[in-house]
Amino acid sequence: MSDAPLAVSARDLRRDYAMGDAPVHALQGVSLDVAAGDYAAIVGPSGCGKSTLLNLLGAIDRPTAGSVRIQGKPVESLSDREATRFRLLHIGFVFQRFYLMPALSAAENVELPMAEAGLSRAQRRARARELLRYVGLEARADHRPTQLSGGEQQRVAIARALANRPALLLCDEPTGELDAHTGAEIIALFERLNAGGTTIVVVTHDEELAAAARRVVHVKDGRILSDTRVR
Amino acid sequence: MLVTLARASLAGRRARTALAVVGVAVSAALLLDMVMLASGMRASFRELLDVRGFTIRLAPRGTLPFDTDARIDSAGAIMARLGANPDIVAVSPVLGGQLHVLGPGGGVTAVAIGINPAVQGDYTLRTGHDIAGPDQAVVSADLLAAAHARVGDTLDVAGGYDAQLRAVTRERRIVIAGTAHFIYTPANPKAMAMPLATLRAMTGAAGDPVSLFMLRLRAGADADSVQRWIERAIPRVSAVSTASALRQVDRRLSYFRQLAFILGSVSLTVGVLLVATLVTVSVNERLGEIAVMRAIGVSTRSIVAQVMLEGVAIMLAGATLGLGLGLVTAHYLNGILSQFPGLPAAIDFFLFQPRDAWVSLGLLALAGVLAGVYPAWRGASLPIAATLRDEAVA
Amino acid sequence: MGDRLVIRATPTGPADTVIVGAVVRASADPSEVARDEYRVLVHLDQLQSLIGYGDRVDRFAVATRDRAATGRAMAAINDAAFGFQAHRSRDIAVETSQTFLVVSRFHHAIGVITIVASAVFLLCIMLLKVDERRRDVAALRLMGISAATVLRSVVLEAAMVAVAGSALGVGLGAAISAAVNAHYRGVYRTPLAFSIVTPEVVGFSVALSLVLGVAAGFLAARRLTRVPPLALFGR
Repeated sequence: MSDAPLAVSARDLRRDYAMGDAPVHALQGVSLDVAAGDYAAIVGPSGCGKSTLLNLLGAIDRPTAGSVRIQGKPVESLSDREATRFRLLHIGFVFQRFYLMPALSAAENVELPMAEAGLSRAQRRARARELLRYVGLEARADHRPTQLSGGEQQRVAIARALANRPALLLCDEPTGELDAHTGAEIIALFERLNAGGTTIVVVTHDEELAAAARRVVHVKDGRILSDTRVR
Repeated sequence: MLVTLARASLAGRRARTALAVVGVAVSAALLLDMVMLASGMRASFRELLDVRGFTIRLAPRGTLPFDTDARIDSAGAIMARLGANPDIVAVSPVLGGQLHVLGPGGGVTAVAIGINPAVQGDYTLRTGHDIAGPDQAVVSADLLAAAHARVGDTLDVAGGYDAQLRAVTRERRIVIAGTAHFIYTPANPKAMAMPLATLRAMTGAAGDPVSLFMLRLRAGADADSVQRWIERAIPRVSAVSTASALRQVDRRLSYFRQLAFILGSVSLTVGVLLVATLVTVSVNERLGEIAVMRAIGVSTRSIVAQVMLEGVAIMLAGATLGLGLGLVTAHYLNGILSQFPGLPAAIDFFLFQPRDAWVSLGLLALAGVLAGVYPAWRGASLPIAATLRDEAVA
Repeated sequence: MGDRLVIRATPTGPADTVIVGAVVRASADPSEVARDEYRVLVHLDQLQSLIGYGDRVDRFAVATRDRAATGRAMAAINDAAFGFQAHRSRDIAVETSQTFLVVSRFHHAIGVITIVASAVFLLCIMLLKVDERRRDVAALRLMGISAATVLRSVVLEAAMVAVAGSALGVGLGAAISAAVNAHYRGVYRTPLAFSIVTPEVVGFSVALSLVLGVAAGFLAARRLTRVPPLALFGR
């Protein structure tokens, strides 16, 4: 893995928040490299800064200090518009609470990032169908999120995250709202995706999910405690 | 995709959307009415003045240029002076008066105008033929009905009625040559037109008075310079061109324009407030959804467009409904104002002019959309990470 | 004041010299409104000679002792066949105020339309205002607060908003009314009041906005409290 190009590279990341009058140092100098094709799990107690780290790696948030390069491109200096476009084309997000658009069908939810990217309707349809088939939900393409189970919704969310063939898939507690059985399905899906070459970074409390990763990064109090390659 | 999201957002809050559409419809209707009131009255008046091609009127100062109660003496001398100007191709003298058509049950009082049938611009013939002799008249349909007469009948008409002696004076037999539509009279007039000399004799007028003159100019003549020439040559009358008559009417009826402006502004404000509030609430409710869309790479512009699409949809639906509502209320309000004393019934206070209507509704839509831009843009510019966290906590 | 003016009935007619003795305030007479002309009051005989009227007058105003006397005087004048006719001032006033009757009817109609418009607007705003409280309502309900209590609190809030809005509206209305009066008094040079904020008007508008506000608050709150709290959270 070490000789593969870097999908993401963070250097000395710091992130401070103002919470009332007191400043909160959510990240206090984190450096992390994730090679293309890797599968890393970031674990740690609540409030340790792992979601903050994920947001910085995904160009959703900006560091107070430090730099993030995704596929070699420094993203902290991108304008909001550029960062948005960058996320659209290069990063896939999966959230704990799925966050599907309730008004859109499963297929339309998957098509949404492609529509924004300017793909034709036919291209969108075909790709959405392909992705839904991949996550095993082809038959549920026309269902609304409210007609789907939690696990199904998360699989749609994963299909959506993959829509524009991102270089990096960032997942924030993707099994946090699921029971053990459906959680296992999602874990298996991630393994399958990674085996197919997708770079994945997950933030999780779920030991089984962490155990499925190739590498486990422990974060505590805004710092990396350990970075262990499991396989 | 945007359309689907906007439609779903509107359909998801049906009662709210319906009420907003009704709210916009009512303010659009009021706005349309006020635009119709502000510009319609003027357009309608201009149309009325220009209908027969007489572009200048001579009238005593301070009167409306179709006021048949006014008096100008020594009309013959004025006609002679006017004839000297080569720009003036026709002069139509008009005298107003009141006559009594005698008959069983006390008869009918009629508004009479004395004209020169060859150059008159006060009526258009409907049935029968035009006045061909001194004892002929054309009458309005209402007078014909009130006098229980038919075209070709002879009426006994009196020029005066002495209340103390309870007797008619200056009686004359008049043949009804035809019926006509009288352009400058109030609604449903009992009116008759006859040769000027006949009316003068019947009303017992001394000298040769008229109420007003209407002048037709040579094609290409400058109305303003003719008007100035008349005011220099004949100082005792004021010459009123269509433009200056419009100015006069503007001044006398400025109240309605001001009212229209104020109420129009209020309804525009209300419409904008309504849409702005709706969009703000709609955005606030969907901050999480918006943050997620931003996170997965949907641009601020797309999100603002989607929110504005909702505003536009409400505005369009409201404006369409408002157009119908506005036309109905304008008809009703016009009915009230057409009772205005001293103004021809043909003047519409509310005149539907498609261009103005579209301008006003476009204005409303634009204002509404603009009102929606700020909340939409603000919602889409919130920090994504913090919003997602807050929404997750909420 | 005190200046000498030369007055004529027509530009070429006989002239007379007068001294400006007083400036009179225009009377609050609706029939004088929009008459764009200057006025001068001179002695009757002076005007008669200026305009060549001889001993003629346009009309007499006759004062009577009481209503019965008015009737008797009218009958006496009309029966005496003087060649003119007596009218009651009131009848003349009705005839000459036709313009104002029309304007007043028009105002009424516009008023009704405006009230309908503002009612819809108020309903809409109130509905939105309550709808915005979805999550608060859900949280309260989940905490075990009864639907009735939630309903009462929402309606109370709606009433408070309506009262505050009405107070603001009355103030705004009074200010606009003052501005309208100042404007039109200037335009038409008359001391007439064009817009009056009466206690009835204030009472009506406040009552209307209270009733509509509370009704809208109640309807919206009842809809919210009937939905299961979790559904309000969007789950």
